[in-house]
Amino acid sequence: MTSFSPRIRVGKRKENRPMSTIAIEAVNLHKRFGNVSAVNGVSFNVTEGEIFGFLGPNGAGKTTTIRILTGILRPDSGEAKIMGYDVHKDPVKARMLIGVVPEEANPYPDLSAWDNLTLVGSLYGLSKRTASERASRLLKLLDLYEVRERKARSLSKGMRQKLLVAMALIGEPKVLFLDEPTSGLDVLSAKKIRSLILDLKKNGVTVLLTTHNVEEAGELCDRIAIINGGQIVETGSPDDLMIKSGLYTYISVKFDRPINPEDAGQFFKAWEHRVQGSRILLICKESADPIVRVVEYAKARCLSIIDIHTSPPNMEDVFVKIIGG
Amino acid sequence: MGTESSNQLWRSMWAICWKDIKLYYAKGPIVVTGVLFPLFLWGAFYIGRGLDPKDGLASLVTLTIFFTSSSVTPIIAPWETRQRTLEMLLSRPVKVTTILIGDILASTIFGLVFTLPIVFYSIVLGVVLSNVLMATVIIMVTVIGFSALGVLFSALPTDTPADVVLLSSVVKLPLIFVSGVLVPLAQLPTWTLAIAAASPLTYPTDLLRQLYTGNAFFPEWVDIMMVIIFTIMFTVGALKLHEKTLSTRLQKR
Repeated sequence: MTSFSPRIRVGKRKENRPMSTIAIEAVNLHKRFGNVSAVNGVSFNVTEGEIFGFLGPNGAGKTTTIRILTGILRPDSGEAKIMGYDVHKDPVKARMLIGVVPEEANPYPDLSAWDNLTLVGSLYGLSKRTASERASRLLKLLDLYEVRERKARSLSKGMRQKLLVAMALIGEPKVLFLDEPTSGLDVLSAKKIRSLILDLKKNGVTVLLTTHNVEEAGELCDRIAIINGGQIVETGSPDDLMIKSGLYTYISVKFDRPINPEDAGQFFKAWEHRVQGSRILLICKESADPIVRVVEYAKARCLSIIDIHTSPPNMEDVFVKIIGG
Repeated sequence: MGTESSNQLWRSMWAICWKDIKLYYAKGPIVVTGVLFPLFLWGAFYIGRGLDPKDGLASLVTLTIFFTSSSVTPIIAPWETRQRTLEMLLSRPVKVTTILIGDILASTIFGLVFTLPIVFYSIVLGVVLSNVLMATVIIMVTVIGFSALGVLFSALPTDTPADVVLLSSVVKLPLIFVSGVLVPLAQLPTWTLAIAAASPLTYPTDLLRQLYTGNAFFPEWVDIMMVIIFTIMFTVGALKLHEKTLSTRLQKR
């Protein structure tokens, strides 16, 4: 995996912005479209430097929430702040601090990759020289420099998506909104974008990521909020969510000789278990305590542990369980 | 509301203007529609009827302004909604107003590029305007007004450019025949005068006819005032209406 960190720069503007360690603040957001309540009381905070996942099924309210947080849509009620700036009272100041890859957005198909990037640079108020320098750096970083003169319509989907990411980064944002950034990408392109997200985090950028790839969210995010029906139904780290989901972890242990089922049953009575010869299977909601007990059991009976294997629930199971699937 | 520094505001407006020129105005079919259509329409009425083309210069200038400056602006917003580029633009540190003013600016440049040569060429041919400065100012204000009219049409929250083209054609084409452009107001039936008085095309035509031939229907100050009022109305209306319909527009994609 290529490391990009030395070359990624993030916002270092000196400005009189409100002091805040909270990068993104959503307070009781509501938004209706006709009779449909798209967002219904969404509240959460994302601290600086955090990668925050925003997961939910189609139509759950993810994109509407992001549109509110990025100032594109005005909420019916509630507050949205970026680094202390209210995105609807101070939209330009707030948006100067953010970069956005909107869901299924496109670069201008009849402009070249270079022109698309410098156009966005101008919208951030960059001089021609600064925009050109940043455009060169970002295009090289994302392996697009060789195709910079090609019109966006002639680029592959992966290249277009990387171009959108570059367009989101040209303003050197402190907060990055990525709405389905790896959707429909091939494995290599998706991996490159994931690697870039982690490098951005190392550089102190806050990332709000929505994705349908639940495993990807589990791998990248410090915390995840799960939204369904316009409301946040659960928030926590991937590990917290696994525990909160109530799904079971399977711990399989193999000893060097057969064990007594009655003795083992007594010792591990706190958990559901099965004994078969020299192997025991424990079914539990978390793995730390049972593993400690396994070690104690082996020590007390002079057994050697040949193999120990834990199978926690995967993030997809956790997601399905939490949204009530 | 949030503030953009004046430097950033200008950069953003020019960036939008540059994008529009590159994507929409520097295209053959647009030039053909914007230039040849008014020329042929004018030619059919004036040359076809054996009138002196000099007498119709005011009409040619107004028609050219009308067709060039309101030809592209109506389709930009629906087209960019459909292409999914509008949201990409809106998520940058620019206000909707800045984007729309950038659109009006590009359309104004396009309108002036095709209108001013007619004025200069007429001067070369010896057709003298009684007040060149006033003609230039009124042409500029009219171009801005009709550019804003195009943007006003595009506030229709659709992602189908044909919907807006239909709307703008239904409004624009009848105006040509009731605004004293092809037939001077004095020669129109009396019942059409009330409609003519409500048409934004009437006043620049009347004023330019005054400057070219000395004949006008309305006093000069009425023409000037109405041109300015229509321009302000279209600009403010376009900006307000777009703000209002943006949410519905974004739901289209």
